[in-house]
Amino acid sequence: MTVNPVKPTPVYKEEPFLKRLVLDFQKHKYKYLLILPIIIYLILFCYKPMYGLVIAFKNYRPTRGIWNSKWVGFMWFETFFNDPYFWRLLRNTFSISGLSILFGFPAPILLALLLNEVHNDKFKRTVQTITYMPYFISLVVTCSLLKIYTMENGLFPAIMEFFGGTRQNLLASPKYFYPIYILSDIWQGIGWNSIIYLAALSGIDQEQYEAAKIDGANRLQQVLHITLPGLMPTITILFILRMGNILNVGYEKILLLYNPSTYEVADVLSTYTYRTGLENQQYSLSTAVGLFNTMVNVCFLLITNYISKKTTESGLF
Amino acid sequence: MKKLLTLALVLCMALTAVSGLAVELLSAGDTYPLNSDKTVTWYVQENMGPHEKFINWTESPFHTGLNKNLGVNVDWKFPTTGTTPAVFTNTLMADPDTLPNIMTGYFMDQANLLLEDEVIWDLTPYIQEYAPAYYAFLQTNPAYDKALKTDDGKYYAFGFFREDGGWNDTYLGPVVRKDWLDECGLAIPTTISEFENVIRVFNQKYGAKFSFAMSRFQYNGLAGAFGAYGTTNAGWSWFVKDGKVGLGQVQPEFRNYLSWLNMLWDEGLMDQDVITLDDTSIKGKIHNDQVGISVTSMGQMNNWNNERMAKGEEAVWVGIPYPKADDGSLSSVMGGFGIGSYTGVITKTADEETMKLCLQMLDYAYTQEGFLYFNYGTEGVSWTMGENGIPQFTELVTADTDTEPMRKYNAMTYGGTGIQATNLLYLKNAAPAIEANNTWFYNFEDEAQNLAVTGGWRWPVGVTFTVDEMDLINIYGGSIGTYVTESFQAFLTGTMDIDDDATWNKYLKDAETYNLSKILKIRQDCYDRYLAR
Repeated sequence: MTVNPVKPTPVYKEEPFLKRLVLDFQKHKYKYLLILPIIIYLILFCYKPMYGLVIAFKNYRPTRGIWNSKWVGFMWFETFFNDPYFWRLLRNTFSISGLSILFGFPAPILLALLLNEVHNDKFKRTVQTITYMPYFISLVVTCSLLKIYTMENGLFPAIMEFFGGTRQNLLASPKYFYPIYILSDIWQGIGWNSIIYLAALSGIDQEQYEAAKIDGANRLQQVLHITLPGLMPTITILFILRMGNILNVGYEKILLLYNPSTYEVADVLSTYTYRTGLENQQYSLSTAVGLFNTMVNVCFLLITNYISKKTTESGLF
Repeated sequence: MKKLLTLALVLCMALTAVSGLAVELLSAGDTYPLNSDKTVTWYVQENMGPHEKFINWTESPFHTGLNKNLGVNVDWKFPTTGTTPAVFTNTLMADPDTLPNIMTGYFMDQANLLLEDEVIWDLTPYIQEYAPAYYAFLQTNPAYDKALKTDDGKYYAFGFFREDGGWNDTYLGPVVRKDWLDECGLAIPTTISEFENVIRVFNQKYGAKFSFAMSRFQYNGLAGAFGAYGTTNAGWSWFVKDGKVGLGQVQPEFRNYLSWLNMLWDEGLMDQDVITLDDTSIKGKIHNDQVGISVTSMGQMNNWNNERMAKGEEAVWVGIPYPKADDGSLSSVMGGFGIGSYTGVITKTADEETMKLCLQMLDYAYTQEGFLYFNYGTEGVSWTMGENGIPQFTELVTADTDTEPMRKYNAMTYGGTGIQATNLLYLKNAAPAIEANNTWFYNFEDEAQNLAVTGGWRWPVGVTFTVDEMDLINIYGGSIGTYVTESFQAFLTGTMDIDDDATWNKYLKDAETYNLSKILKIRQDCYDRYLAR
């Protein structure tokens, strides 16, 4: 994967943009034809819906349509910022997302590195298959299982009691919500997410390892000085993309796992948007929250990208 | 107790006598089939959909049969499998130009908004002519007519009514294992102290705990014994007393109730899992002798007994009365007046001619013929008239081992646009479940006193907010529900100390940051207008 953008061919450089486009089009007709469906897709499904964002500044009523609804300025943003739950939503979203990145992001990298060191092919394939499998289990099923395992007489409390803890319903207690959420996330995604790293690993030149061996490097030194640097560009890009999603905590899993006892730690922006928009039909308010969400995400994306470019000289743009 | 049972029986018989009348009150309506060549789209949010055994409605005897009886080509629509029905309706509502012609869902709260925005038809000028049976039915009871109109007298919807006038609105309440009760030599508990004693004895003797699915307990729970209203569900806890609207969860009586629940929790008498239990997951505990006393619906109790019998065990679960305070007082039980908030409306995607046709179609369920069809299906196929003049299901239904097989042929098992026959409930549920419903419903001999406890305290069905009020509720009312539900559990589990005055006062004070007074004011105005109708 190349990180630095390809430099434009110098021939066109002094021409105006339109002229360059025409020239380029004539030269690469079929490539433009190939990319056309994607451009149409982007316009239809990513850019056109953006028009709908204006309802965040209106009192949207479906019958009046987007244009004819009344302008209300920043009223919905004010409503949201004044909501007693605003700070809690923000705190919970950052906590869950932050913890997911802290523990969930390195996990597949670690798995890929470990798998890379395994030389028994049969064992390696078995492990890979087993770790992929949870990814294909529906979230509803996973969460139902979790609920049963965490009940007072369930599996996990029994284990905790064995090690001297007290037996209690884990999902009823706010302090266990994050561990349950993060660990099950890792369990479900570790195999699947390691695929991209394994692919990147196979791209590392084997000759480097041979050279290192001759120089007397042991396994750990090889990992630290060849494998990890080889993975770095992939890790960086995935990390920046992940940071751009910092406020996007999936609402499905939380909806399935939380209950009023754990709202305190589990209620996040996306569940709030779901409740206001789809359950209470407050389209404008939920759009405002969604827009706020996106703005914060974009900021994080830009900041991470900037830092990354400063320190490692690789970034998205 | 015996006296109460006799009373229940007498009242029950009286009820059947009354219900016989209700059917006769229904008029013949239009001549069906209507023989129209129009195609009408009809969306049903829940309850009236095809039985789970069918892939789609074209296999469903009820839906295909209704199309035939109406003589109209109905294109039925239902929420996509896997979606939350209410959310699916809301996504439909976001695009008024493509709505189905008839929509069945929960529209009463926003009726004024939908009328003002011309999403739905104002039926007032047409209803008498094109829905004569329904109009006549509404006139038989002033309460019906009042609930199904807006404040300024507009008709806009076809409602759901229970023939029993509210008996089955008290479809859930406390239940107990009769065999354990007998083994321990205990009488059926009638007061809250006796109720607590049963919990304690069962806990000592069997290690069992007081447990329930929160989805069942959340409405009114056992609040009545403490003079309180509502439990965790804020939507359920807007109550009316002496003409004043209040929120149950901020009353001092509610604090006593919560304090009692918290005591059970602290002493390990209440199952900690109640927070995450639902109807499915509680069964593991029910069938493993971990629960001896609970709160559930007649349908669930019926299932528990049936599942025991399937294993060759005895049916041991029976309904017991809602416990009263030790002085015999009771403020509230789950209940209503037999009017549902689930309604059918006609949208503006129907032109005037189609709208008139829709009126005639919806009217069918309120005619004598349609009433029978909506409750039992086709005569001679799924039911026959018994010797006593009461419909009976045929073997097609009684020998069918699928869950709730009558739902293949009828629509009124749970509710929809029509009138639910009380007899249908008798046919569907085993005797202990019917007895349980009697036990929960008949709390006082004095009829007026009883009605005040079952339905009288509730925020009435059919109250309509004005457009401005809806806007204000949208701005102010978003989070109060979450607040009280969450606080309830915090007090229950002891995260917040219910017995500490400072904590309680802070809880009351914080309710104001969630705009409690503003919302109460809006609701009071709205209620006053309803009374003035």
